Amino acid sequence: MQTENKIHRKVLVVDDEIVNRRLLGFIVSRDYDVLYAENGIQALEEIKSHADTLSLILLDLLMPEMDGYELLDILTHDEELRRIPVIVLTSEKSAEVQALQHGAVDFIPKPYDLPEVILARVQRSIQLAEDNILIHENERDTLTGLYTKGFFFQYARQHDKYYPDIPMDAVTININRFHLVNELHGRAYGDNILQSVAALIQEFAKNTGGLACRCDSDQFDFYLPHVENPAAVIQEFSEKFRKMTNPTKITVRIGIYQNADSGIEIEERFDRANIACSHLRNSYQTAFALYDTQLHEKELYHEKLITEMDKALSEKQFQVYYQPKYDITGNTPVLTSAEALIRWIHPQDGMISPGVFISLFERNGLIQKLDRFVWKEAAAQIRLWKEKYQKTIPVSVNVSRIDIYDPMLKQELDEILENNQLTASELLLEITESAYTENSRQIIETVSRLRESGFRIEMDDFGSGYSSLNMLTALPIDALKLDMQFVRRMTEDSKAFKMVELILDIAKFLNVPVVAEGVETEEQYQLLKKAGCEIIQGYYFSRPVPAEEFEKLIQKEESTC
Amino acid sequence: MLTIETLQQFGADTEDGLKRCMNLEDFYLELVQTALDDTPVTELEKAISAQDLDSAFETAHAFKGVCGNLALTPLYIPVSEITELLRSRTQTDYQPLMTEIKLQMQKLRALAE
Repeated sequence: MQTENKIHRKVLVVDDEIVNRRLLGFIVSRDYDVLYAENGIQALEEIKSHADTLSLILLDLLMPEMDGYELLDILTHDEELRRIPVIVLTSEKSAEVQALQHGAVDFIPKPYDLPEVILARVQRSIQLAEDNILIHENERDTLTGLYTKGFFFQYARQHDKYYPDIPMDAVTININRFHLVNELHGRAYGDNILQSVAALIQEFAKNTGGLACRCDSDQFDFYLPHVENPAAVIQEFSEKFRKMTNPTKITVRIGIYQNADSGIEIEERFDRANIACSHLRNSYQTAFALYDTQLHEKELYHEKLITEMDKALSEKQFQVYYQPKYDITGNTPVLTSAEALIRWIHPQDGMISPGVFISLFERNGLIQKLDRFVWKEAAAQIRLWKEKYQKTIPVSVNVSRIDIYDPMLKQELDEILENNQLTASELLLEITESAYTENSRQIIETVSRLRESGFRIEMDDFGSGYSSLNMLTALPIDALKLDMQFVRRMTEDSKAFKMVELILDIAKFLNVPVVAEGVETEEQYQLLKKAGCEIIQGYYFSRPVPAEEFEKLIQKEESTC
Repeated sequence: MLTIETLQQFGADTEDGLKRCMNLEDFYLELVQTALDDTPVTELEKAISAQDLDSAFETAHAFKGVCGNLALTPLYIPVSEITELLRSRTQTDYQPLMTEIKLQMQKLRALAE
């Protein structure tokens, strides 16, 4: 016996002829413990008294008392005994088919084959039967009767091999707040719910030709031919489920990866269904979400950016660019200051749009690191230009919402100033309008403190947020930066232009200058100048440029002076 | 005395029979002796003369299996023949085949003395 464990298996030899019985028993006894019976009745007694340990029966068909067929019928109809494989011994071809139809797994012809052949057939039959039992015991979840995870994926892979052209959906179904269901109603009730969900899924699986498993305590995976209109199916599912679980308000969330890409591993296809499902967390309604490839790629890309940020900082992939701001109140525009803008020049991906990474890092707080990097770079640059041109070009830097809540903010800024021997008025701070609306008390306090120590504060993107008129009067600011959307639209849209005029009036009322961003054309420039806007920033003068290029603008300014 | 040589004299395919007994001569000879001691020939004859073809078939069929397994070819041939006739319950004169079977049995017995 070549099986791994060394249990000595039992084989029963049933034959009415003593010579045959002894001969076969002798052959088989090389590898097995052998029991003998002369007829069906004796055999049945032996089988019953060794039901747990008997591995195989070698059965003659024609015997007195009870023949082989009769015994086969008894065994195949017995829930417990049918697991024992039976090989029949026969000299007739016609009997072979009949015996197999009665439930025999194999036959050994008479006169007997070579002992090696008999032993090999015995071993193979035992192995198959044991594997079958193992599969039977492990392929189904005992509570719900659905497949277990491992078998499910295996069968799904098999399905793909046989039907590679059928488009399939990977669906995952989770019960919302299932742990609470268990706590609130008891485990038995929870089990009941799981069985109900499983029964519904099983029903759908049967109707659609799909297969399903319980892959986690309250999670089910379902692999089925593509459904064109999942909403209708889920509606039906949810109604049935509601009836089953009445009066409790238990709902499920469903993630669907439609037309799943068979080029990726089956497990990964269900990961995608899970990703879709995770967007539905904590819903109180039965809801479903479709996996969106583009959305996922975006998420992956974001994750990559997050992972690479530190490395990018240390490798100087980030660079600070400067965009000039011009005072246009006089006859000729005068370079008055600059805004520091960060650029990420990735060694493989090239220039990564700030629109992508800034909002991403704002969401997860990583922006703090970038802000500090920009503050330091900008301060050093101001210092450098100051030495080179004997004048200060103030540079405005971004102060993100999260920085405002940082108790060390002022200290950090002071340190940067000190390291570069600058005064607070030389580093301008831009705070976006939307930051003001969130926790206005805190921001007003922080900004007030900064102003008291000499910093000048510009309110960025003004007009895009929702500052209340009431709050505007309490705002400690030194300039308003007009949201560039107004500038872009004002030449075509008279309402947008009216808004610009209104904001200019507000600024006048607050006694602060307005900086217009995103000015690109002569027309925009003239309109803003006429309306009384003091400072202009945008492509009309220059795009954001590296420090070396910015110097040319300074030099040009010098020469016209 | 029953030996491999005497069985060969009888016409048995001893090589085939021995293989089945994993080449253990003693075991092979012992099984042949058992078959001789427990011969169903008389039983078969009785059943045929009583026209009980059902039990005649069962007996012949079992005996065929034994002869086949022990490779007793001169017995196996007529026993197979009679088994097939009995399987279809053919109404025929079984006497010649019975005579042949009995003759072969006697030969084997004589060799076993």
